[in-house]
Amino acid sequence: MPADSASHSPVEARATERRPWLPRWLSSEHPFPWLFPAAALMVVFGIYPLVYAITLSLYKRNAATRKMIFDPTHNWTKVLADERVWNAIYNTFVYTGVALFFQLTLGMLIALLLDSDRKGYGVLRAMMTLPLVIPPAVTGMMFLLMLNGSFGVLSRGLIALGIFPTGFSILGTANTAMAGVLTAEIWQWTPFMVLIMLAGLRSLPKEPFEAAAIDGATATQAFFKLTLPMMSKVIAIAVLIRGIDLFRAFDYVKVMTDSGPGTATETLTSYAGRIYFGSADFPYASTIALLTLIIVILASTTFMKIFKVKL
Amino acid sequence: METSRPLQILRDIAAVTVVGIFMFPIFWWALTSIKPISAVFDKDRVNFFDFVPTFINYGVTLFGQSRSQLAIDQGIGMGVGGAEAYDSRQSIMESIIISLGTTVITMTIAVFAAYAISRMMFKGRNSYLNWVLGQRFMPPIAILVPLVTIYKTAGLRDTDNLYMGYFGLMMIYALMNLPIAVLLMKSFLDDVPKDVDEAAMIDGATRFQTFRKIVLPMVKGGIAASAVLVFIFSWTEFLLSLFLTTEIRTVPVKIQTFVTSTGNEWGFIAALGTAAIIPSFIFILLVQKNLVRGLTLGSLKE
Repeated sequence: MPADSASHSPVEARATERRPWLPRWLSSEHPFPWLFPAAALMVVFGIYPLVYAITLSLYKRNAATRKMIFDPTHNWTKVLADERVWNAIYNTFVYTGVALFFQLTLGMLIALLLDSDRKGYGVLRAMMTLPLVIPPAVTGMMFLLMLNGSFGVLSRGLIALGIFPTGFSILGTANTAMAGVLTAEIWQWTPFMVLIMLAGLRSLPKEPFEAAAIDGATATQAFFKLTLPMMSKVIAIAVLIRGIDLFRAFDYVKVMTDSGPGTATETLTSYAGRIYFGSADFPYASTIALLTLIIVILASTTFMKIFKVKL
Repeated sequence: METSRPLQILRDIAAVTVVGIFMFPIFWWALTSIKPISAVFDKDRVNFFDFVPTFINYGVTLFGQSRSQLAIDQGIGMGVGGAEAYDSRQSIMESIIISLGTTVITMTIAVFAAYAISRMMFKGRNSYLNWVLGQRFMPPIAILVPLVTIYKTAGLRDTDNLYMGYFGLMMIYALMNLPIAVLLMKSFLDDVPKDVDEAAMIDGATRFQTFRKIVLPMVKGGIAASAVLVFIFSWTEFLLSLFLTTEIRTVPVKIQTFVTSTGNEWGFIAALGTAAIIPSFIFILLVQKNLVRGLTLGSLKE
């Protein structure tokens, strides 16, 4: 219904008759009352704290007197010069990139494997969704136990295979800690990709594949020439949603290594959290958090432009 | 595509193996929860089934049994006491209240917004939609630091007033879940033809009556699916709960307190962890059909 004809419709007239004292924008014919509660929530608990965070980042906190002094460049120059910030940015990108690569590849392979109408595959597909609903903080604990150097089942397995020396602590060693944290991340969220890829595979039309089979194409050719291009939109959406979540990685890092050893697994979010709890330099913690937001916005809008994705 | 029989069997084996690998951590976790301490900390070998199952870990965390019982049963005297520190009944209640409250608040707000977005033409419709979606892009940490200060000033901290603490946490959870709820409900509402609304309104119903009596019953399934997802996301949330509340400890935060300076209480951790994932497992199986749509914010349908 075009907007301007709405006010002349008989429906409209009847509705205003019902409660003549009510202004039009408060009646249910007007979108305002429908949209207001959500908007109010987003302003009060979203926009206001965000504006507050931006203001906070413009102040300098004096550690001794706990006074806030207006100094708009202090935190932002500090961020750019802070080696730990660059380390955290690097770690965050490594975390996001490696996790995305494994989740995407494994997700696609497992989806292809489970995409069958044979008996029992439905159950297998349902089982694959279970990791998704475990609290990430609990998953972190799960892998902390399994990766324990002296009695963890995964560690013991890897040691038995001769990959690591006896008693080797994967999470306690700077070089391997990130891989340990990523194991938990990849385990929990590969099923997310599997589900989305399965949905994508199931929505593909059958005809092109039949035609390709008649033309003598191999399964591999069909996959790269037909399946992948036709699934590109699905893959792009999955990468976008997963990427945003990966970039704010916190739970696994906090639980499994607490950003350590040293700063080996420190991500942007966990660094901000560390400053918050450690030195109580709220303006600086806010600045790093805002930096995370800026990078997420830049990266996701660029991605959406390049791959022409729209959620 | 036709596949030969041996190849099919190979595929079956591969599929079962892969799913088995993914199920292993859950199995190991559940197994740990019924192991006595000595079997958990077995340094000589990986202990799979060579132990006498015990339910004391569940007794202590879920039923408030005394921890000294554990020491007596196993003939060890380490770390007796502090029983109530491991009694998690309070945390489970708090988690349930927070998750249910969040679900009700989020769904109420989201269904209204989604209806207007789906049904009405108005200026700024796209901007509004992008605003809601933009919320999904925001890392919670970005607003967390000021939020603590704001809550302190506004009296929304649980240390000042427990009820306000609940309210405060529910509202921020509602904000975090709003995008998925609104976009998912919009996608379900878009599936209902607009002719339905128009027919009802020609018969003299107001917008609100149309919504409540005609459209709402038609998207019951969608509401249930969205509500389940919101519930699960609130149930599993960790960061906000960790920063914003001290008295209220949701289950994911409570589990972290079992990591002590004298060692991790793996038995208790595993028991509470196992108990915490069972409700989610049941819920997720109920919404299997709409899961993909939910996880992609309504942009992909199965």
